[in-house]
Amino acid sequence: MPIFNPRSWPLAIKLQLTTTIVVAMVGFMIGAVMVVQDWGRFHDELGDKALLLSEFVAIQAPTEMRRKNYWALYLSLKNVAVRRAGLKMGHEVVSAMILDAEGIVQAHLQPANNPLGLVYSPSGLVELDLYKQAMRARDPVLLSSGGFSKTGFLEGVVPLFSDEKYLGVVRVRLSTAQLYDEANNSAITVLLITFCFVIIGSAIGTLASRRMVRPLTAVTHGLEAVGRGEMTDFAPVPVKDRDEIGRLSITFNKIMSELAEKKKLEEEIAMSEKLVALGRITAGVAHEVNNPLAGLLNCIDTLQKHPHDQKLIDRYLPVIDQGLYRIKDIVQNLLVGLRTDESDEQVSIKYIDNLKDLIDAEIGERNITVVWDNRADKTLGVPNKLEQIVYNLLKNALEVLPDDGTIVFNMYQNQGYVIIEVCDTGPGIPPSIRSQLFDPFFTTKPNGTGLGLWVVYRLVQGMQGVIEIESEEGQGSMFQVAIPIINQKAA
Amino acid sequence: MRWIYLLLLIWVVPGFGAGTEPPIRFGLTAVVLTENIRFLDKWDEYLEKKIGRKVEFVLRRSYRDVMDLLDSGAIEFAWICGYPYVQTRKPESLQLLTVPIYRGEPRYYSYIIVHHDSDNRQFSDLEDKVFAFSDPDSNSGFLYPLLLLVQNDNKPATFFRNTFFTFNHAQTVQAVSERVADGGAVDSYIWESLAASKPEMTGKTRIINKSPSYGFPPIVSRLGVDANLVKLMKNTLEQMHQDDAGKALLAMLKLDGFGDFADSLFNEIRASANTIQRITPKALNVSD
Repeated sequence: MPIFNPRSWPLAIKLQLTTTIVVAMVGFMIGAVMVVQDWGRFHDELGDKALLLSEFVAIQAPTEMRRKNYWALYLSLKNVAVRRAGLKMGHEVVSAMILDAEGIVQAHLQPANNPLGLVYSPSGLVELDLYKQAMRARDPVLLSSGGFSKTGFLEGVVPLFSDEKYLGVVRVRLSTAQLYDEANNSAITVLLITFCFVIIGSAIGTLASRRMVRPLTAVTHGLEAVGRGEMTDFAPVPVKDRDEIGRLSITFNKIMSELAEKKKLEEEIAMSEKLVALGRITAGVAHEVNNPLAGLLNCIDTLQKHPHDQKLIDRYLPVIDQGLYRIKDIVQNLLVGLRTDESDEQVSIKYIDNLKDLIDAEIGERNITVVWDNRADKTLGVPNKLEQIVYNLLKNALEVLPDDGTIVFNMYQNQGYVIIEVCDTGPGIPPSIRSQLFDPFFTTKPNGTGLGLWVVYRLVQGMQGVIEIESEEGQGSMFQVAIPIINQKAA
Repeated sequence: MRWIYLLLLIWVVPGFGAGTEPPIRFGLTAVVLTENIRFLDKWDEYLEKKIGRKVEFVLRRSYRDVMDLLDSGAIEFAWICGYPYVQTRKPESLQLLTVPIYRGEPRYYSYIIVHHDSDNRQFSDLEDKVFAFSDPDSNSGFLYPLLLLVQNDNKPATFFRNTFFTFNHAQTVQAVSERVADGGAVDSYIWESLAASKPEMTGKTRIINKSPSYGFPPIVSRLGVDANLVKLMKNTLEQMHQDDAGKALLAMLKLDGFGDFADSLFNEIRASANTIQRITPKALNVSD
């Protein structure tokens, strides 16, 4: 699945994702630092406040304690516990008390559970520890418990003195619940701001990466077009900057224009090669047709001069006949080889087997063995021109074969192809002429037209087939033709 | 130098413009009244209109402070408790002016209250507990609970674990309702007023003891104040229930009116003070 493999993602998306992740990480880190700092600041402020409230109570407490004015002591605790509505950083006094030197309650914000005039009894080990710390304090001190939670608190402890005599202690405890909420709120705010930054950052990242990657995308598309062989409709990649990508674009444009030029040149060369081939054919035709024509004209001229010389008639008529047939052969072969109309007429494969009789007839008295092996599906349809291909190949083998030779014909199917193999035990083909073997009018035989193998080549080409030769001098040759099967069944 | 004279002139002239007669000063404590500045503004406005002189209410924390003002001549009239009224002064410095009529009578009670959820059913249950008094010069908030103690042969100094004064009947109710004190002694007039205005507070208290009736805290005048003014003030107060503005003010005070009553109205308080004085003379010497 390429979607799940980041290596196959477009560069633009990868760049954008990277930018977003970096922005998000930086944002969250700054946010986290801010939240931690905020918490620290709030915490310090709350601690100061707890101490301040204790100090405030401690101003009047010694006097009121001496007067046993417990009601005034209680009211002073009530006063600091009043929450003033509308203050942003309000505080919640969860507990407050004034104890004397023996730990007897002089005033407590929760008098029902902490009765006046009795020794204060801390509930639980934590409270006991805090109580001991508070009673030991001889200087204002800040105690804390619960840490960063809804149930945490800070306690301002201020010892009370009168004439340097220790009277007791004031303890005012502020809840950190508000702090906790504040920290949570600021964390949410920071999160939201970070989220906004991430959106803005990734938008900018998207724009920047699109802008940066656009020339690369154009280069990639261009190269893909080259891969498909399309070079003519190539639009140059626009160059805006002179950075690496800009230079790459310039180089790419240069390469592309050079490639286009090369392709044009190749097309021109191909065209001129076609013209050369045409010229060769024309020259061949002219030569091959002209040669017998000269002899024919001579014969006709002689016959016209001696119209009643039976001897001459008997001697020249067969020559004229032979010459004309040769011209007809050449023209017919040319027609077959140059015919452009692709008739997809199909014949049954069994007609190929009829060619064996024809070849046997051609062999006549010669001592040549034909091994015929047609393993192809007999119901298979093949193009009717295949007959011509097989016939030409067999005839070619027959012509090069000395007496006592053998021709092997194999035909079979292989993976959607019909394979035809024609082997002979002839003299083989010298490597020097192999490249010219399929050229028109190229022949090594004294009476050959040089068109037989050319026609085979042209027909195989026309059928999108492949022709291959294996040959060893003095050992023989093998022509192998592979034709794609178009229709399974013959009509 | 001229500009100093000018300044002096500017400073002196408004003093003359305010009238030659100084304002009539009326002493009050929060023990009798729940603080209500707007009410006092309306009341002094009313009295000014009737008497034709500026009336100024002077608020003090305790009865003792008000008594000191009376002794020093800093005020002409005062609303005090029956107990300071019956205390003997040599020479006598004040006289009874008029007595408020509350629910048809010039009388009220002392309530001993405990927290609603408390197990204390009677006054003796409060032994070794915390007790809130209202004012050391209050009959209902101090004298009556002391009387209960001495009548039962208890020593006021050791009966309770802790005691304190709130100097305000309303705060005595608060102290009990918030369980700072296990019990407290309050003026029935204040407790009933609070039951109407702050039922959530009195709802947390329960009355376990109601005293016999006593003479309602009276209004007194300082001896030596112009007799006409005293008469005018007495008539004005005693006729308040006859006009609408006066009626409205009385309604806010939750009083029926003011009436002329004999000094013997306070004999019960006198008797209480004498009883306590005879048995435990030190119990009454509370220093703030």
